[in-house]
Parts: sequence; structure tokens; C-alpha cells
Amino acid sequence: MTTLQAPGQTPLRPAEAGELEKATEKRNRRAYLALLIPGLLGLLVSFVFPLAYMVRMSFNRGAPDGVIEETFTFDTYIQPLTDPYYWKVTLDTFQMGVTVGVLCVLVSYPVALFLARSQSKYRSLLLAIAIAPLLTSAVVRTYGWMVILGTNGLVNSSLTGLGIIDTPLKLTNNMTGVTIGLVEIFMPYAILAMISGFGRLSPQLEEAAGSLGASKFNVFTRVTLPLSLPGILTAFLLVFVLSISTFITPRLLGGGSVQVLATEIYDQTTGLLNWPFAAALSVILLVLFGLIIAVYQRLTRKIGG
Amino acid sequence: MSQTKLSIVDLTKRYAAGLEPAVDRLNMQVEEGHLVALLGPSGCGKTTTLRMVAGLMDPTAGSITVDGKEITHTPVNKRGMGMVFQSYALFPHMNVEQNVAFGLQMRQTPKAEQKKRVAAALDMVQLGHLGKRQTRELSGGQQQRIALARALVVEPTLLLLDEPLSNLDAKLRETMRTEIRSIQQRTRATTLFVTHDQDEALDMADRIAVMNGGLIEQFGSPTEVYERPRTHFVANFIGQANFLQATVVSEVGPAGAGESHYKVDIEGLGGFGAVGSAGLSGSHELVIRPHRLKVTVANAADRDAIKGTIERVSYTGDALSVAVKVGGKTFNTQLLTSSGDLPRPGDTAYLSWSPEDAYILPVNGKGPAS
Amino acid sequence: MNEAPLFKPRFNAAKPAFGILVFLLYLFLLAPLLIVFVVSFASNQYLSFPPEGFTLKWYGMLPQESTFMNGMRVSLIVAVIVTVIVLALGVPAALALDRYEFKAKGAVQSFFLSPLLIPSIVLALGMVLLFGPLRLTNTYAGIIIGHVAITIPFVIRTTLMSLATTDTSCEAAARILGADSWTVFRRVTLPIIQPGVIAGGVIAFIVSFDEAVISLFVAESGLPTLPVQVLRYVENSADAAVAALSVILILISLVVVVVVERVMGLRKALR
Repeated sequence: MTTLQAPGQTPLRPAEAGELEKATEKRNRRAYLALLIPGLLGLLVSFVFPLAYMVRMSFNRGAPDGVIEETFTFDTYIQPLTDPYYWKVTLDTFQMGVTVGVLCVLVSYPVALFLARSQSKYRSLLLAIAIAPLLTSAVVRTYGWMVILGTNGLVNSSLTGLGIIDTPLKLTNNMTGVTIGLVEIFMPYAILAMISGFGRLSPQLEEAAGSLGASKFNVFTRVTLPLSLPGILTAFLLVFVLSISTFITPRLLGGGSVQVLATEIYDQTTGLLNWPFAAALSVILLVLFGLIIAVYQRLTRKIGG
Repeated sequence: MSQTKLSIVDLTKRYAAGLEPAVDRLNMQVEEGHLVALLGPSGCGKTTTLRMVAGLMDPTAGSITVDGKEITHTPVNKRGMGMVFQSYALFPHMNVEQNVAFGLQMRQTPKAEQKKRVAAALDMVQLGHLGKRQTRELSGGQQQRIALARALVVEPTLLLLDEPLSNLDAKLRETMRTEIRSIQQRTRATTLFVTHDQDEALDMADRIAVMNGGLIEQFGSPTEVYERPRTHFVANFIGQANFLQATVVSEVGPAGAGESHYKVDIEGLGGFGAVGSAGLSGSHELVIRPHRLKVTVANAADRDAIKGTIERVSYTGDALSVAVKVGGKTFNTQLLTSSGDLPRPGDTAYLSWSPEDAYILPVNGKGPAS
Repeated sequence: MNEAPLFKPRFNAAKPAFGILVFLLYLFLLAPLLIVFVVSFASNQYLSFPPEGFTLKWYGMLPQESTFMNGMRVSLIVAVIVTVIVLALGVPAALALDRYEFKAKGAVQSFFLSPLLIPSIVLALGMVLLFGPLRLTNTYAGIIIGHVAITIPFVIRTTLMSLATTDTSCEAAARILGADSWTVFRRVTLPIIQPGVIAGGVIAFIVSFDEAVISLFVAESGLPTLPVQVLRYVENSADAAVAALSVILILISLVVVVVVERVMGLRKALR
């Protein structure tokens, strides 16, 4: 018998059932590769080309009236990186992301905890209700917040009607409105991420802690919270990343007075027609994205052991 | 006279260069109407062999011939076989009748005939009344019968069964054994049956191929592989065995069927009678099944007996396992229980056996000589 | 927790308090959706509170609003074509990813899911930059290509999920019984993974139908979709016609939600 194995090593054999099934299909190698091709081409056209073209564009120079000067320069990056205005926009974006992330985690945690523990027969219905807003239009939900928070909106009308305030509170066209709207809009994402991250959390563990004499508070701080930390972290990151890149809500609830990277990219294109500059801002946003995700992966690996 | 239905020559499967072959130059002839069990531990290559015969997997080398026609490279859907999977693999979106009719539809059998044959197949497995049911509503045993009906309704050239009983509970498994065997005998479907369960193989098969490490260690009838194991592996895998080191002292005389009576020296305990194939000499392994050993408290005068000490007794209701230590060697014995006192560890016991029950393995070492 | 406690607990204020908290948070989560329902039936001429009376006039106005009707038409055409395309691209790809072992498998799978990781504003900018010179801006083709990237991950994911739970022996059984590859796919594989395909399809539909950013960049001036029209309308007007329209959009989403929940479960599909 000719083998390339070192003597004494046990020969490798595929496990009986599952692996055999997959190995079976090897004869259809070409057929299966062919199945991938349409999808890969689709993504190439609709995803890779646009992004690659944009990165290339960010090294061009923008001239007035939307004219693009084909060149290779870092000018488009130098301006946002040196101009204090863009530092402020970037910082505001970052700050908004953190605020929305923290608040969203705070309001989503009880719901996620409730859903993860619930033994009610309505659990799946309640879960569906919590996630369902994901599949509704962001424009519609933002509009709903405009109705609630506007000058003549639900909140101000109620407060003035009750005589609590005389002049309406300013809840839209500023960061407050944007933050409230985003917190709600990203809640379903946070809830989903948390429930998935609660894997190791089980009522038995909490009961076990209780049976060992821990008070309700201690059970929460010593068992529940530490075990739900991975879920919380994932949810925070997800919401942070979604907030710093979102456009619709800052646009509508910010009413032009909230400037974040996303709205700035839009203004640079439609208003100023400075395409290379908008492309550079996008690349900066992407890099920010990549950095955060990299840091997150480091963190989770540490937490995971 | 019986005819060869399936002939496998030098069949080899190597999953990747550098790996030990999963099946290594395997040869086998299956007679028409026989049920052949491929028996062995997991990873022995039995499932791989079955899949190559089915056409689900390409052999690396060798050939497969059915009814005199080579089918080694015939596509799976053109082989006309029937197979029952471990998971039954019933189509979940079809009802019982639709499942059974699938193979007939593929063969473009006329509708009326399809109906007749599906009904007959379902009657054969005693599920004629469940045709309109969804498969998930059925019990494991029922699903298994549907899978069998689906495989047989196309009148397959070969019926292939891949561990079909392993998902059933112990009681049901025994019933299904009998039922599969009787259906197989009625339809005279030549059948390959993969199993790791020796009882299943002994009970159901006309021939058993005991496989190990991609090779067939022995191919023979159930009594042959049990009574006359060729190798240590076969003797050890099928049933229980005491292995003793024996040196041939003299060949006493013929015992029929190419075998001889021998006088052997066992583990230096003295001379004993044994049987083995003719013409053996030198040192060999000798096998005695535990229940063929006789244990007595007093020395029986009629046979050669060895004196030993009872080391361990375990009581399992019907049977009593008694381990007897003789010198440095432990003999495992098995007795049927009777009322009265149980033997106790520390007691003296005498072991004896009839020479016909001491079989000298013809092949030394762990595997067949290659 | 159904087991009887060892000791009868004393009245515990924490439990109802937690229940009330969760209820309030649900209210917060659903507030913007609930409020548009209320406003859409309120007879107030301009957006204000409290509602003065009940009316259906905002719904009556919708068919006459040509911007909405045109937007609706564009969005429906786009969403239907996008759904068909991503199913045609995504289902075979998922099949290959599940049923075939190859070295770059993990990388290819991540690649198919990666459009979800890229901010849509960045993708939108890339598309308008690329499509401009190709004269694809303000065309159906442009919007559709733009939406393919962001919907394909959903189809891949739900289909993979369905494939992962199927028994590959079923396909082997069908082949042994005489079915060729195409018949196996059509009569066995596809029916078995149907839930994932349907879920992926309706999610792709609603994501495309509700998508605003890419549509805004690629086709705002020439071929505005419904979300783009709503965006513009909300920026400029204050009447409640858009609330009525929003209710209709929510109801369409609700249909999708119900379908996905029934065929494979929302949580599984959107994980």
C-alpha cells in the first residue's frame, strides 16, 4: 500500500455519512461552480465595480460645475483631514453613533431579556412584533417621528395642552430629534443581536444562583448581566455602525441643521457636484467602519476567551 | 442453478491522494436473489462500497458489473437500482403514494399501471391504507416501510439498504428484520445490506462480507463466518471469543471438508484437541466461544480439563458470565443460569471443551495476508 | 417557568414593574407606526393634535396625487424585477455554497453577504458615479442594478438556512430512482427549500420597494421611486396625505412580515 503518511499515524478517513454526501457531489464540480457564476457576476456589477470606481474617483480633483479632473491626487483627502469643519462633522457623526448606540442598548435590553426568558405562548408573536419594524420603510418611520416630535406634534401639543409648557420644545431639526428617531429605528436590530448573543443565558442558571442564596439584584449583576454582555456589545456595535452611516433620518429629522458624514456626502454631490470630494468622504467613512469592526473583533475574541 | 448478479472486481476508492483508500481492491460476487450483508465497524468502507455500487460515488479504480453488463461509469439515474437510506429520505413535500410513485414517474410508466403498482407495493409493506397520508405523520417503522416500497416498486436490478434499521428502537428493529427478509425473499430482489450490527447480518443475510480497513476479511454464510472465522478480526467482531495462543503438536487426522483434527499445545497448559484447515503447523491463534466452554466445580473425568480460579461473576438474568483465571490467562465463559447457588469469585473451577469447538485460525495476524 | 417554586414568594413588585417597562418600550418601538395610523384618519387640515374628527379624505386624495401614483408604479416595477433577478442569482449560488466543498467557500459566502456591511450612502455614491457615464442614471436598469447588491444577501441567507436543514439523502434517493439533475432540483430540492426561497424573495421585494438612498442618488430627478417621492413630500408639505400613503406602505410591509413569519420565522430569516 503506498501512502504518504508517516509511519504510526492513523489513516484519515472521512466520517461515514455527512462527508460522504458532500464528497459525492465532487463529480459535479463544474456544474456547481457554474451555479455560482451568475451571482458573482451580479455582485461584481452592482457592488464591486461601483465601490472600486468610487475609490478611484476619490483621487481625482473636482472642479466647479461638476467637472471632474482626471488625475491622481490626495487633495480630496487633505481638505477634510485639515479643515476643522470636517473634523467637527466626523466627530459629530462619531458622537451621534455612540449616543444612539448606548441609548438603543438601554431601551432594547429589557425587551430582549423579556423575550429571551419568556415562556409565554405569545412569545413568538411578541418577538415578531419587535423585529417586524425592520421591514417597514425608514422614511415612513422617520415621518412618524416628525409627527410625534414636530412643533405641532403629539408631544408639544400634549404638553402645551396640559399647560406644562408655553412655547413648544424644539425636538426636530436638531440632534435631539435625530437621536430619538435613530434609537427607535435601530431597536429591532439591537433586540435581534442581543437575543442571538444571549446564547449562554438560561433561566436554570439564574435559578441556580438563586438557590445558592443570591438576591435578585445579585443574580442580575453576577449572572444575568455578565452572560448577556456579548449580546450587548454586538448590539451596541451594530447600532453604532448603522447610525454613523444612515442618511434618511438625519436628513429628515435634522432638517438641514444636523451635519453628519452621510448628509455631507449627499450635499457634496447634489448641491456642490464635487464628486471626488464626496468619494473621499465615503472612503473615510468606510475606513472608519473597517477600524471599528476590527477593534470589535479583537474585543469579542478577548471576551470569548 | 444460481447465477451471478453482481460482480465487483478490484474496486478501490481513495478520497484524496495520500489518504489510505477507503475501499481497497475489493472483490465480491453476489448471486441472484441473495441478500448480502456488508458488515463492519464505522469507517471500514462498507458505506463507500454501497455508494459506488449505487453510482452515488465514482470509484478510483476497479469495475462493477451487473447482469453481465459493466456499469462502473453509468450515471446513477440510469442504473435502475432501489435504495433505502438510513434517514429513509422520504420526500417531505409528497404524500405516501407520491413518494412511492416517484420512480415510476421517472420511468414514464402509464398512469393506470403506476396506480396499480403503487397500491401493490404499499400492500406488500402492509400500508395500503396510508397512501394519502403525509410522510411526517408516520412512525419511524412506517416511514421505513414506505422507503422500502418506494425502492422495490421500480423492480430494481439491485436493492441497496444503507443501515436501514439503525434509527428504529430495539423492539421494532427485530420485527423489521423479519419483515425485510421475508419481503426480500418473496420479491427475490438481490440485495446489498450495509450494517454494523452482527445480529442483523447473521439473522438476515445469505452471505456476509465482513469488512475492515477497506478490505473484505471474510465472505461467507452466517455459519461460516461465525463457526469458521478466517481472521482474528472476524472472530472478534462477530460474537464473543477467547483467543488463545496454540502451537500445533501434530495433525491427528482428517475432520472432513478440508479440515483436520489437531493436537495443539495451548498457552503452555498442555495438549488439547482442536480443529482447523488441513496442513497447518507452527504457532496459531485459537478461538473458543465463551458459551462453548464448560465450567464445572468438580473435575469431569470424561474430558481434559484445566483447573482455574473464578475471578469474576456477572449475572444478567438469562446468562451468567464467569471469568476463570488459569495461570496468567483469563477465560471468559458464558452459562445459562439455573436455580441454585451462583459460583463465587475465588472458587475453584474446571474448564473443558470439546475439540470441535476449538478452532485454529488459518490466518495469523490482524488482517489477511496480502 | 412552570415548575412550582419551593417557597411561596412574597409579593414581588419587581415583576409587574418590569412588565410595565417592557410594555412602554414596545409602545416606544411602535410609536411612529401607530401615530401615522391616527393622523391618517384625522380631519385636521394641517398636522396638529389632538385629532379633530374622523375622515377618509386623505386616502381619497391618494389616487389623484400623480407623484405618488407614479412613484408607486416605479417602485413596484423595480421591486418585482429585482426580486426575480436576485432569486435567479441567489438561489443557485446558495445551492452551490451548501452542496459543494471548495477552498474559498467561506470567503465566497462572506462576499455574498458583504453588501449588508457597506453603508448604503457609500454604495449609492459609487453607483451614481459609475452609472453617470454609462447613461444608467434615471433608468430602471440603474435602480435595479443598484438594488440587486443590497437584496442578494437576504436571498442567499434564507436559502442557505433552508438548505442546511434539508436531508441530502432525498436528492440521492431521487437520482437513484431515475431523476436527472434538473428533475432533482425541480421536483425535490426546490420544493424542500421553498420556505427559504419565498422568505428571501419577499424580503428582497420589500427591501427594494422601501429602499430610498440608492434610488435617491441614482434616479431622483428622472425616475423617482415611491420612497423618494415620500421623502420629498415630507420635506416640503405638512398635510396628512402622506400619512395615508404611509399606512398603505406599512400594510404592505405587514403582509411581508406575515409571509416570512409563517414560512420560516422572522428571527431566523433576519438574523
